[in-house]
Amino acid sequence: MGRIGTRAAAACVGALVALVALVALTACGGGAGSTGSTGATGTTQPDAALAVALQFPPRAAYAFDADDGARLMTLGVAETLTTVDDRVQPAPMLATGWEQTADPRTWRFTLREGVTFHDGTPLTADAVVTALSHVAGVTSPPRAIRGIGFRIAADGPGAVLITTAEPDPVVPLRMSSGNLGILAPSAYAAGGQPTVLRTATGPYVLDAVNGTDSAVLVRNDSYWGERAGAATVTVRYVTDPQSRALALQSGDVQFAEGLPGASLDQLRSAGADVVEYPAARTVELLLNQSAPPFADIRVRQAVTAAIDRPVLASQVLGGAAAPASDLFGAAVPWGATSPPSGADVERAKALLAEAGHGPADPLTVRLWTFPNRPEMPVLATAIQSMLGRAGITVDVQVGDYAAREPEILAGRYDMFLNSRSYLSDYADATSTLTSDYTCGGSYNIDQYCSPAYDALIDRLPGITDPAQRQALFAEAARMLTDEVVGVMVVHPLNTAATNGATGFVADPLSAKPVLPGLTRTG
Amino acid sequence: MSALLRRLAPLPFVLLAASVLVFALPRLTGVDVPRAVLRARTADAVPDPEVQARVAAEFGLNDSAVVQYLRWLGAALRGDLGFSFVTRQPVAEVVGDGLAVSGVLTVLALGLAASIGVPAGVYAASRPGGLLDRGLSAAGIVGVSVPEFVLAPWLVLVLAVGLGVVPAVGWGGPQHVVLPVLTLAAYPGALAAQLVRAETVEVLGRDHVRLARAKGLSPGRVLWRHGARLATTSVTSLSAMVVAGLLGGSVVVEVVFGIPGLGRGLYDAVLAQDLPVIQAATLAVVVVAVSAGAVVEVLALVLDPVARNREESR
Repeated sequence: MGRIGTRAAAACVGALVALVALVALTACGGGAGSTGSTGATGTTQPDAALAVALQFPPRAAYAFDADDGARLMTLGVAETLTTVDDRVQPAPMLATGWEQTADPRTWRFTLREGVTFHDGTPLTADAVVTALSHVAGVTSPPRAIRGIGFRIAADGPGAVLITTAEPDPVVPLRMSSGNLGILAPSAYAAGGQPTVLRTATGPYVLDAVNGTDSAVLVRNDSYWGERAGAATVTVRYVTDPQSRALALQSGDVQFAEGLPGASLDQLRSAGADVVEYPAARTVELLLNQSAPPFADIRVRQAVTAAIDRPVLASQVLGGAAAPASDLFGAAVPWGATSPPSGADVERAKALLAEAGHGPADPLTVRLWTFPNRPEMPVLATAIQSMLGRAGITVDVQVGDYAAREPEILAGRYDMFLNSRSYLSDYADATSTLTSDYTCGGSYNIDQYCSPAYDALIDRLPGITDPAQRQALFAEAARMLTDEVVGVMVVHPLNTAATNGATGFVADPLSAKPVLPGLTRTG
Repeated sequence: MSALLRRLAPLPFVLLAASVLVFALPRLTGVDVPRAVLRARTADAVPDPEVQARVAAEFGLNDSAVVQYLRWLGAALRGDLGFSFVTRQPVAEVVGDGLAVSGVLTVLALGLAASIGVPAGVYAASRPGGLLDRGLSAAGIVGVSVPEFVLAPWLVLVLAVGLGVVPAVGWGGPQHVVLPVLTLAAYPGALAAQLVRAETVEVLGRDHVRLARAKGLSPGRVLWRHGARLATTSVTSLSAMVVAGLLGGSVVVEVVFGIPGLGRGLYDAVLAQDLPVIQAATLAVVVVAVSAGAVVEVLALVLDPVARNREESR
C-alpha cells in the first residue's frame, strides 16, 4: 500500500507543482502588473505607458450612431466641432467660432486652421461635410441631429454652413455631442461603417482595437492642442465594478472609473486618489397620475413626505448618491443643490387621511423596478419600508424593464422606480423635459399633463441665450416639484480613481476627453 | 469510429429542433425587438418611432415568424449566419471569437480539474477514512459549494492584489488565463475527486479486483488498472455536461475577469435582443454539447470493457 500511496501522492503533488509552476511562469513571463501602490504622488512620467479600466465597452464597434462616438471623445481620439465649458455653454474645439446667419435656420462654423487627421490629411470644410453628412444619413442618426432637418454644406475651405428645418438656437451645443466626431474622408471611403483606426484628430490615435475587450492608443505628436499625458494607453473595458477596483488596487491599471462604494475606503488606504462627482442622472419614483390613488396630489405629497431622501442617499446607498430635491442635480449649473428635508411621517399620515386613506381604508400599491442597476431593488425595498411607516402597503416587484415597458407607458402601473439621465447626448435638457413631462411626451410615464408646463417648454425653441435657457430649465423643474410629478429620490454619484497616475479632471457631463490629461507617476 | 458516427447521427435533428426553439423563445417574451436593439446601440430611453420602423424593416422583422425562420434557416444552411443587430458585425465572427476564448478556458479548466481531481479521488479511495481522505473530502465540499462569484474575487485578492503574481483582469496573454482557469476548475475538480473516490472504493470491493489481488498483482496496479480506470468512466461522462456548461455558462467568470467569451457575449445578446447572435451562439453550444456527449460515450467504451463488449455484441 505504501507504493500506491507514494505514486498517487506523487501524481497529486506533480499536478500541484505544475499548477504552481504555471502560475509562476505566467507571472514572470507575462509581465503582470506590479503590486506597488504608488498613489498619485511622485514624479510624472510623460513618456510612460498607461493602463486604464473603463466601465462601458463600445456598444457597436465604435459606431458614431451607437453612442460610441462619445467613447472615442472620452478616450481623446475623436473630436467635435464644439465642446462645452464649465458653464455648460458651447466652446471651441475643431470650430473656433460660429454665428447665426441672416437666415435664422443656418449657422456658420469657422474651422480651426492647422489641424490634421491621424492619417496625415488636413481638416477641411469638405472633410467635415463628408463626416457629418454620413452620420446624418444612417438608419438611426445621433439624437443631437435627429429630426431637425439637418443639412450641411461647405462655405469656402475653412467654414461650413449647418441648416435646420426650423430656427434652432442650440445648434452649436448640438455640435458638442461626442457622436458627431469628425473623421478623415478616408474613414468613409470603403462605405458602410467608418474606419475609426488612425482617422480622427484627437491627442490620442486609436492604434488597435480588440472587440469589447481592449484598445490601444498612442500619442498624437502632431496634435494641434495640448500634448497627451502618456506615450501609449492600454484601455481595458471591465464591466464588473469590483474587478475594476481590484485591477486598480493590484496595479494592473492606473486609472479606473465607476467604482463600487464599498471599495472606496479600501482604495484610499491603498494609496489611490478617489474622486466622487455628480452624474447627470436622477432616480425618480414615478407615480401614475392617470388613475387613483396618485391622481390625487395629496397622496403624491404624502408619498414625498414619507420618503427620507437624505437617509436613502447616505445610508441605504452608503453615500454613493446625493439626495435629490429637484429633477436636476449638481451636475448642471441649473440644478438644485440644496438637500431636501427628511421624512415627515406625521404629515404623510395627515395627508393620506385627508385624501380618505386611514386605518379603515389603507392604501396598497405596487412598486415596479428593474434589476439592471443594482441600486434599484435596494432603494425600492427601503422606500417600501419608509412608506409602510406612513401606512402605505407597498408590493415591490422587480423584473425586466423591456418586458414591462408597454404596460408602464400605457399607464397600467402605480409606482415605478426609474433611473434616467436628464441630458441627451449634448448638454441641453429640452429633450427630457419634453419627452417625459409634456402632455404629448413620448416617455411621459407619470401621465402628467399641464398646459402651463407645456407653454413653458414651448418657449424653449425661441431662446438662444444659454443662460436664459438654463433659467427656464430650472423653472420647469421647480414646477414639476411643486406639482409633485413623481418623487425625485437621489442623484447617483460617479466615481473614479487614480493609482500611479495624476491629472484626472472630473466631468459630470461626460462631455470632455478624460484620458489625455492623465500622466503616469512613479 | 462507427460508434462515434452512430452517436452523432441524431445531431442534425437535434439542431433543427433546437433552432426552432431558439428562434421562437425570444419572440415569445413580448419584447419589442427594434426598440431593444436601438436601446442597446444608444443610451436613448425613448427611441424615435420612425427609426424603430426603419430598423424593423431593415432586419425583416415585419415579416411573419415563419418567413423569418425559413429565411434564417436557409441562410444558415448556406453558412451565412447574418449580421449582429447591435454591432452590425458578422455573427460568425462574433460567435467564433467568443467560442475560441471560451474553448481555451474550458479545455484548460477541464484539464486542470482532471489532473488534480482524479489523482486526489484515487488516492483518497486507497485509504478510505484516513487523514488525507478526510482532508480531501473537506476540500471537495468547499470546491463544490463555493460559488464562482465568491471564489473569483477571493483568488484576485490573494494572487493579484496580495501576491501580485498574475493580473487581476484582462485577456490576451498566458498570464490572463490563470485566475479564470483556477476559478472554473474548482467545481469540476472537486466533483471529479468526489466521484472518483466513491467509484474507486466501490470498484475495489468487486470480485475481479479481489481476484487480481489474489493473483499477486501489485497494489498500485490493482488500484490504477482495475479500480481507477473504471471509476474514471463516470468522470468522463460528467465532463460532457461540464463542457457545455463552461462554454456557454461562464458568464460570471467572464464578467469578473473581463474576458470576451461566449457566455458573456450570449448574455449581452439576450439583454439586447440581438436575435442573430442569440440563435447562433445557442446553436454553437448545442453542437458542442451533443458532440462532446458522443465523444465521451465513445471514450467510456474505451475505458470500460464491459460496456465495450455490450456495444460490440449489438
